[in-house]
Amino acid sequence: MTMPEEDSIRTGEGNLTDYVYLSPVDQYQQHFRRWLLLIVLLFLALFVTAALYYFMSDRTRYYSDILEHFKYGSIGSEPGGTIFTQVGGVLPPYLVFKTLPALCPDKLPGGYASLGLVFEPGHELPIGVSRRWRLGVEQVGLNCAVCHTGTVRQSADSKPQIVLGMPAHQFDLERFFRFVADASLDDRVTAESVIAKAEEMGDRVSIVQRLILRFFLMQRLKLVTVSLQNRIGPLLNGPLPDWGRGRVDTFNPYKAVQFNWNLKLLPHDELIGASDFPSLWNQKPREGMHLHWDGNNTSVDERNLSASLGAGVTPVTADHASLQRVHDWIWTLPPPKYPFAIDQSRTARGKDIFAQQCAECHSFDGRKTGTVEDIASINTDPYRLNSYTYALTGNQSELYPDSPYRFTHFVKTNGYANQPLDGIWARAPYLHNGSVPTLLDLLSDPADRPKQFVRGYDVYNQQKVGFVYDTPQARQEGFWYDTTTPGNGNGGHLFGTKLPLDQKLDLIEFMKTL
Amino acid sequence: MSNDVIFAPLKFRNLTVKNRLFRSNVSGRFDNYDGSGTQARINWEESFARGGVGAIVSSYVPVHIRGRILPNYAMVDNDDKIPFWRAVGEAVHRHDCKFIMQLSHSGRQRDNPGVENFRQKGLSSTNKKDSFHGLLCEAMSVQQIKETVRHFAEGARRAREAGLDGVELHASHGYLITQFLSSAINDRKDEYGGALRNRSAFLLEIIQAIRKEVGSDFHLQAKLNAVDFGNALYPWEKKGNTLDEGIQVAKWAEEAGVDAIHVSIGSIFPHPLLPPGGLPVDEFNWWYGAIISSGVRGYMNYTVCHFKLLRPILDFLWNRTKKSHPVEAVSSEYCREVKKNVGVPIINTGGYQDGKVIRRVISEGITDAVSIARPLIANRDLAHVLQSGRDLPAKPCTFCNRCLLNAPANPLGCYDVRRFNGDHDAMIAEIMQVYSPSQFSEQHVSVAGSSKE
Repeated sequence: MTMPEEDSIRTGEGNLTDYVYLSPVDQYQQHFRRWLLLIVLLFLALFVTAALYYFMSDRTRYYSDILEHFKYGSIGSEPGGTIFTQVGGVLPPYLVFKTLPALCPDKLPGGYASLGLVFEPGHELPIGVSRRWRLGVEQVGLNCAVCHTGTVRQSADSKPQIVLGMPAHQFDLERFFRFVADASLDDRVTAESVIAKAEEMGDRVSIVQRLILRFFLMQRLKLVTVSLQNRIGPLLNGPLPDWGRGRVDTFNPYKAVQFNWNLKLLPHDELIGASDFPSLWNQKPREGMHLHWDGNNTSVDERNLSASLGAGVTPVTADHASLQRVHDWIWTLPPPKYPFAIDQSRTARGKDIFAQQCAECHSFDGRKTGTVEDIASINTDPYRLNSYTYALTGNQSELYPDSPYRFTHFVKTNGYANQPLDGIWARAPYLHNGSVPTLLDLLSDPADRPKQFVRGYDVYNQQKVGFVYDTPQARQEGFWYDTTTPGNGNGGHLFGTKLPLDQKLDLIEFMKTL
Repeated sequence: MSNDVIFAPLKFRNLTVKNRLFRSNVSGRFDNYDGSGTQARINWEESFARGGVGAIVSSYVPVHIRGRILPNYAMVDNDDKIPFWRAVGEAVHRHDCKFIMQLSHSGRQRDNPGVENFRQKGLSSTNKKDSFHGLLCEAMSVQQIKETVRHFAEGARRAREAGLDGVELHASHGYLITQFLSSAINDRKDEYGGALRNRSAFLLEIIQAIRKEVGSDFHLQAKLNAVDFGNALYPWEKKGNTLDEGIQVAKWAEEAGVDAIHVSIGSIFPHPLLPPGGLPVDEFNWWYGAIISSGVRGYMNYTVCHFKLLRPILDFLWNRTKKSHPVEAVSSEYCREVKKNVGVPIINTGGYQDGKVIRRVISEGITDAVSIARPLIANRDLAHVLQSGRDLPAKPCTFCNRCLLNAPANPLGCYDVRRFNGDHDAMIAEIMQVYSPSQFSEQHVSVAGSSKE
């Protein structure tokens, strides 16, 4: 018989609390309650642990093969942070992302592939889209490969060749963002429709995932999408020129997404900044050169990290180890060999012409290679240059504070950087804004360069060195590029334009070998 | 119906009963809290004798305070109770009815142990609580077993000294002796546990002790389970004793000297099969509170019954075994097997009321007599009704078990208001008749006075 402690015996006051002893039943139940409490607490602890693990664990597939890692590995661009405050990411969760085209077929009849995303057999997601478990759901994000994987075809009926590290000239990033945002907000996209469609597509959706989708995720997705649209809407839906295939406005979304700038307050012209995706190979010799089209940074690492921000990475969600693997790979990645026949006799002659006409600014050992050519001198389209501002430079230096990743190399320039031309055959169309479809056209007087042409069509024009831009098939598949649109100007860079045609042909034949 | 088997006398070794109708043991909280008897008890028992049954098996009579099921049950734990029981016997005898005292010990199965037992666990063969109410218990020491055997023997002596006609050992329905007999309950490792013979030792020692105390010429019968059905309520519980084991125990009891076997079933009380019939959840909800704190599962049981959404659980558990058994003569087929194997007369209980059924079980040699409780509570004159040639009274017992569920809280009686055409007052008036005459009424004084002549 357990007697309570003396000081707990209270008589004469508080009749409701008086007790003198415990009956065997009381003792049993007290004992039982203690055990029950213990068990409940244990279960609670287990539940909390499981919930914490479920919602806080951050895991992604590790690809030991660097090529697979580049194509499908996560760099941390998936939404992260906490379940209460989502940080980063530009894409909806895996199940939603996967089912959006099927749920809104009118918005994207050809699926993601029609936007130029490259699918490989055996992969349900395209190259450049990674998966990562974050915040209790399978998320998707973009990685480097989405903008740096191109396709090349010899003819319309040949199989596309996938070239890693090549500018994704066929990929329409702006339409991709537009579609994902529009479809995410579409009334047809609900937890129920996503689950039903995902199961139709062979996914098994767990009860927990259903609950998360039904009661939490879809609402948040809509809110996050609206929020994102509010920030970058002026870029995607405003009266600005389309970026078109193979191009991105690098710094304007950056201003809105990373720094929460109100884009509506910026000058209209500053919001026009689309330029070509660059190639990724041969980074080691580029270290110290002025990188980015306008040469605003001389550090490959900072440029890489900055570029990843455009894919949705944030300082708190970046996967630096993963980025480092990509860095190590592209550090020495050689440019792709020209995949077609080369006229060796022309090449020999062209080499000399290159040395005379181009090497000073465009060979790795050129005196001016990697330096910024003043806009007054090069005279190419200025919009991209003007879209990067002093104010942005200041903001960028505040990213990654107190960490080894803090940006310290960004500067405002007044021109465009002279680029090494390794793998130049695969970097068409040319100039920073891709306003000249082929090398041969680039060697023409601006007045003779194509005023309108198709870009994003991947059949190769071996004669002019660039992609076919003027056939009916190209018009059907590609983006109609108008050089008279602001930001799309094809003027400037007059080097080589006065050469005789034969020498131009020799030169571009040689450039196939770079 | 002069040839009616129901009304043929039944001769035991030491006792002859005028007919084959026994009032089965049924109690009611009519006595004083301390276990001394009252006039109400006398009125209660006499009313059945007046109704024509051949013999009455008494209320549940504890041989020791620790073995009481509910307070207000008259006990036989002391010689000072003899005069009361003598008065009961005399009242019953006036109607040519025999009175057999049921010697009982609850073991762990104390629906409400009362304030005297409040700080003790029940005694049992085991430390494991009962499965229904969660009544706590502790395993008896051998010394406690010997003392309890002695209490039974002394109870028998007191019954004889009170002029009663015999005693019955309550060795069924999950009370102490069942707790020793049942393989589902008895988990002892000593000479009172394990093999059936060991589990039977407690019963047999009691029989022997009684015989030693009262001699062989005093009627002694044992109420035994033919089958335990220990898992009838909860499927995960053990089944307990089988029919073969039940028969074997009956045979050993006969060898040890009992004069009759009273056959029943069920290793707890109440049990889904016994008393057979309904489980009215309204009554359960109203009155279970009287015993809710006795066991550690009381609140759970109450909760399951109280909330309509949960009642299907109770409904499923309580009724799943019942489906394979009749309400009337629920244990008769098991009784038939027991009777085949023992020589002493057999009394069978469980759902008897209809004259046709009673005649059949006696004629077919299933049993020699039947014991009846609920139908007699509903119609005290059932024997007269059957004797008049009718098989059922005008308003027969419905086996609804409302009497059972009222028993822990209210005066025992028929609470099936349908039998009173919905007249609640009439129902209560009939129930309250047990208190009339009271100890101090003029009517009683004259009756009591005459009884003393």
